[in-house]
Amino acid sequence: MNSKTVLVTCGATIPFPKLISCILSPEFIRSLIDNGFNRLIVQFGRGYGLLFGKQLGLLKPSEEKLSSLTSCQLGSDQVCCFKIDNLEIVGMEYSTRIQELIKDSADLVISHAGTGSILDSLRLHKPLIVVINEDLMDNHQQQIADKFEELGYVWSCKPQTSRLIDCLDKSQRKNTELVPLPNAHNKNFENTLINLANS
Amino acid sequence: MDSAYLYSVIAVVLTVCNVRLISILPFTRTNNDYRSNKRSTQLTSHEPKPLHLLVFLGSGGHTGEMLRLLQNYEALLLNKDNHLYVGYSDNESLDKLKKLMRQFPTFSIKCYHFKKAREVNSNVLQSIVSILQTLITSFRYILEIKLSMLGKPHLVLLNGPGTCCIIAVWVKLIDFFWLFTSSNIVYVESLARINTLSLTGKILNWLADEFIIQWEQLHEVVPRAKYFGILV
Repeated sequence: MNSKTVLVTCGATIPFPKLISCILSPEFIRSLIDNGFNRLIVQFGRGYGLLFGKQLGLLKPSEEKLSSLTSCQLGSDQVCCFKIDNLEIVGMEYSTRIQELIKDSADLVISHAGTGSILDSLRLHKPLIVVINEDLMDNHQQQIADKFEELGYVWSCKPQTSRLIDCLDKSQRKNTELVPLPNAHNKNFENTLINLANS
Repeated sequence: MDSAYLYSVIAVVLTVCNVRLISILPFTRTNNDYRSNKRSTQLTSHEPKPLHLLVFLGSGGHTGEMLRLLQNYEALLLNKDNHLYVGYSDNESLDKLKKLMRQFPTFSIKCYHFKKAREVNSNVLQSIVSILQTLITSFRYILEIKLSMLGKPHLVLLNGPGTCCIIAVWVKLIDFFWLFTSSNIVYVESLARINTLSLTGKILNWLADEFIIQWEQLHEVVPRAKYFGILV
């Protein structure tokens, strides 16, 4: 069976309950299934297991003993796994191998708009939807998300289910492609460093 | 008569100090090559020599960006003959560094633990005590690192947060008294900063020898900064 996976990360340190609510809304889950996804992996952040379980319970999923990925692949020992129709839902607090997981398993990434998470996906050339956590200090994420969307590197939205579904639809259209993030290696920067080091 | 001597000695000392300050601080330098950034920067020396590199891992996103920078410029920065001095203040950063360094097993690396200048939720007295402790231990570290860097190609690579300012001040202070060295501080402003500088950026603007921005708009705030696109 071919797997089509969406990976959701709330960031490892800052919790983002609104994103979890959007992801686990019946409308969004339906939209994922309609778009042919059969696996949803969520890194929900430390201390948010209960909320995740509660939200998930409302969807009345069937519980699975084992996920299709090993806990080693997932980079986490505490993994919960459920199933709704054909969609496997895997949840974990925190993965130590998030980059490897994105690289090997994700067909689409949905993350908060922190620069670290954005770079994790874009440097691995994965299509990315960023969801802005508006509750943070001076709404930093808004700026960076707007900038990256303006440049065509990501799709971005606020944590509202309907907006997120719009972004998902955009990402699944045949003729829409993101602009690849330019390579980070700049010869002039390297030369500047060498010249300064030897000065 | 005596006081005239005294005054003239003071005047001479002050002048010497001023001259030295002007020569080591970057704000007197004009960025004549801001426009020429787009043209290629010529190398002045051709043979790459082993580099002594001090980096500070500032936790969270700062650590993330710094490690990406090291990785993206590994041919220069993580060359196997280089000497790497790493400052860190949280163990998570150290773990991430170790994970990265598994790809570079034969690398000479020394780690220094810098206490956070200020813990969240500490009162004024605790803050003062912890800041003083940080100042003293960090000076010892910087002096040790600086001494092993003397006379060799070296760089100090910083990207925030607050502890970087302390490091930069000590490096410049040693620079001030030790005549035949240069600090070579490179500050790379965070990718998250598009229109305004971070507080660390505002302070390091007075100290860093090269101020690097990752969004071109920031030129309006720091005209002397250099822009090479996104580096992390």
